[in-house]
Amino acid sequence: MDLTYSRMRKTILSSMILVPLIPFVLVIVVGYFYSKISIETRTIESLQRIVEDHRQMIDTFLRERRANMEFIISTESFETLSRPRQLEFVFDNLQRTSSAFVDLGVFDQDGLHVAYHGPHQLTGKIYRDEPWFAEVMQKGVHISDVFLGFRAYPHFIIAVARKENDRTWVLRATIDTYIFDNMVKRVRIGKTGEGFLINAGGYFQTEPRSGGKLLEPDANSDLYLKRHEGIETFISNGGGFGRLLSDLFFPGDESVFLYATTWLKEKPWLLVVRQEKHDAFGKLRSAMYLIGLIAVLGGTAIILLALDQTRRIIRRLQKIDAEKTGLENQLIRATRLAELGQMAAGFAHEINNPLQVIRSEQALMDYIIKELKEKKEITNEESLAELEDSIRQIVVQIERCANITQAILKFGRKSEPVLENVFLHEFLPEIIAMVSNKARVQGIAVNQVIAESLPPVFADKGQLQQVLLNLFNNAIDAIAERRGSRGGVLEIKAGADEGHQVKISVTDNGIGISPENIKKIFSPFFTTKPLGKGTGLGLSVCYGIIDSLGGNMEVTSQKNEGTTFFVRLPVAGQSGS
Amino acid sequence: MKPSLIHKGLRKFFGERDSGMEKMKIMLVDDEERFLLTTGKLLARKGFDILTASRGEQCLEMLADNLVHVVILDVKMPGMSGLETLQEIKRDHPLIEVIMLTGHATVESAVEGLRSGAIDYLMKPVSVDDLMAKAEAAFARRQIIEDKIRSARTRKSMDQPTDDALNEAVKKE
Repeated sequence: MDLTYSRMRKTILSSMILVPLIPFVLVIVVGYFYSKISIETRTIESLQRIVEDHRQMIDTFLRERRANMEFIISTESFETLSRPRQLEFVFDNLQRTSSAFVDLGVFDQDGLHVAYHGPHQLTGKIYRDEPWFAEVMQKGVHISDVFLGFRAYPHFIIAVARKENDRTWVLRATIDTYIFDNMVKRVRIGKTGEGFLINAGGYFQTEPRSGGKLLEPDANSDLYLKRHEGIETFISNGGGFGRLLSDLFFPGDESVFLYATTWLKEKPWLLVVRQEKHDAFGKLRSAMYLIGLIAVLGGTAIILLALDQTRRIIRRLQKIDAEKTGLENQLIRATRLAELGQMAAGFAHEINNPLQVIRSEQALMDYIIKELKEKKEITNEESLAELEDSIRQIVVQIERCANITQAILKFGRKSEPVLENVFLHEFLPEIIAMVSNKARVQGIAVNQVIAESLPPVFADKGQLQQVLLNLFNNAIDAIAERRGSRGGVLEIKAGADEGHQVKISVTDNGIGISPENIKKIFSPFFTTKPLGKGTGLGLSVCYGIIDSLGGNMEVTSQKNEGTTFFVRLPVAGQSGS
Repeated sequence: MKPSLIHKGLRKFFGERDSGMEKMKIMLVDDEERFLLTTGKLLARKGFDILTASRGEQCLEMLADNLVHVVILDVKMPGMSGLETLQEIKRDHPLIEVIMLTGHATVESAVEGLRSGAIDYLMKPVSVDDLMAKAEAAFARRQIIEDKIRSARTRKSMDQPTDDALNEAVKKE
């Protein structure tokens, strides 16, 4: 039985856990997966947008500056610009366009610095062998990398060349980088997001916020320093997005970055925007923690609930099973008693016939002896007395047998009881009165607690009297056995019980019944009384009567404490009686 | 009702009529042979007229030929049961008093017996004295009825001295 329950417990428990847990876990996993994709996509897109915006800004800046220069060189002639006053005038106009212009110089085709306007004195220097000069002469335009030069602040130059009357001349401007430096430095994403420029050789063109000096080589440049179109997005350390999950569990690995890079269009500089990955995907991590928390709490709740519900269900099942077993036992007992009753009745009937014969024989013997005595044919007085005693004994023993068979027949009989409404608050005191004298003699106090408004029961008064007297007499005997003639209490209660029943209880403080006897208490022929004193049929007859009335009988007892018999009868007019 | 049987009964009836205090004639019907033998012997010794039959059929046969006042009839017998026998007796011999004897104290069979015309019932094992007391009582009752019938018959025979009067009386009973 216990094994069944534990197996049942396992089944119920596992289904109660799994059924809600599976969709729960699925929801969590799917939710996590989609939020991960969504956050990743959004983070990367925003990074790409930032990189693209800034590239455009820097490209625009460079293009505008180049356009400024090209405009000047195409509108002015070498001669006019070689005049310092004109150069100053042009430079002032140029500075009004952009404050980034630091100086402006004019070179002839041999590299001689013909005119210069700016903070330094460069006029007269020859730049013919400078690589930038060669390039501008060749390509017509040159934008340099950032350098410090003698000026010791970062700048770069834009030089444009113009062929005029078989002469090529060059206009060069120095441009402070602070403007696009600021543009790039303004890139601030989260805590660790930053932007910087490197040139094609991998040298910083702006100072990254996270450290690294201007014009020094970028240690990570080989990660991203390759030609590509548009924007490239990747994660450093070659981890790809696959590493994302492990990074979530081991955050703080600051060397892992999410990169977005793009080449400028105006100049082979690479704009790099990067953010530490744990920072970039911080939202995903907090979502992950939240999901984890919900999963743990929800899972715990599901398991606890399942355990609790299973415990309740199993307990209820056990209760129902116990009730069912009780009911079955009661049914078996009732059936067994009915069978026993029929068997006993048949048996008693068969015994009665030979008893009748014996009785006739005895009567004949008695008569013959009487005749012989009268005729004085028996003279031995002593033998005669013994013979008469012996015959009397036969009568006594036949009587005893007859009592037993009568009792058995009463037990087994299927007579139609005369059923009527019996009002217990009137009926019970009458029956109690029948034994009150006997109880008084034994020193037993009889208490009766009978509810006044008790509904009537439908029963045969004679049978009910038989049952009650049996119980009362048993109680009195039990009290006498334990207490002699002092201190006995017999309590008779009657009240309404659940299920449209009336409950009568008969409680004594007598000798009590041992647990092994209590099991057999309603069995026919079971008696604890000395041989010949009881047939052991009293209570089984009572049981049969109450059973036939649609009620039931129960007993509880504590050895040397007392016994209570309960009789439950259906209220009159209720079905099932 | 067969008139011939009535006539036979009446002949016996009137034949005995003048002998003053009648002697009770008992028939004991039981399938227990030894019971019949012993009880028969005892009652004979006590001076009763007793007939015994071990089966219902035998009982009816014997009643056809013998005058009996009281039949003590076992309820449970092989062949014809006590109740069936009782009904036959009451149909053919309405004046015979029947006491049912049962080994089984079923109220149903007793009530059934009483309803079918038995005067009383006894529970086995019964003492012979009790048996005789019941039989005497039944006989006494029979005597009273006989007296009534006799006086009725006498009155009626003044006007219409036929057997019909007796038939009427018997029917009334």
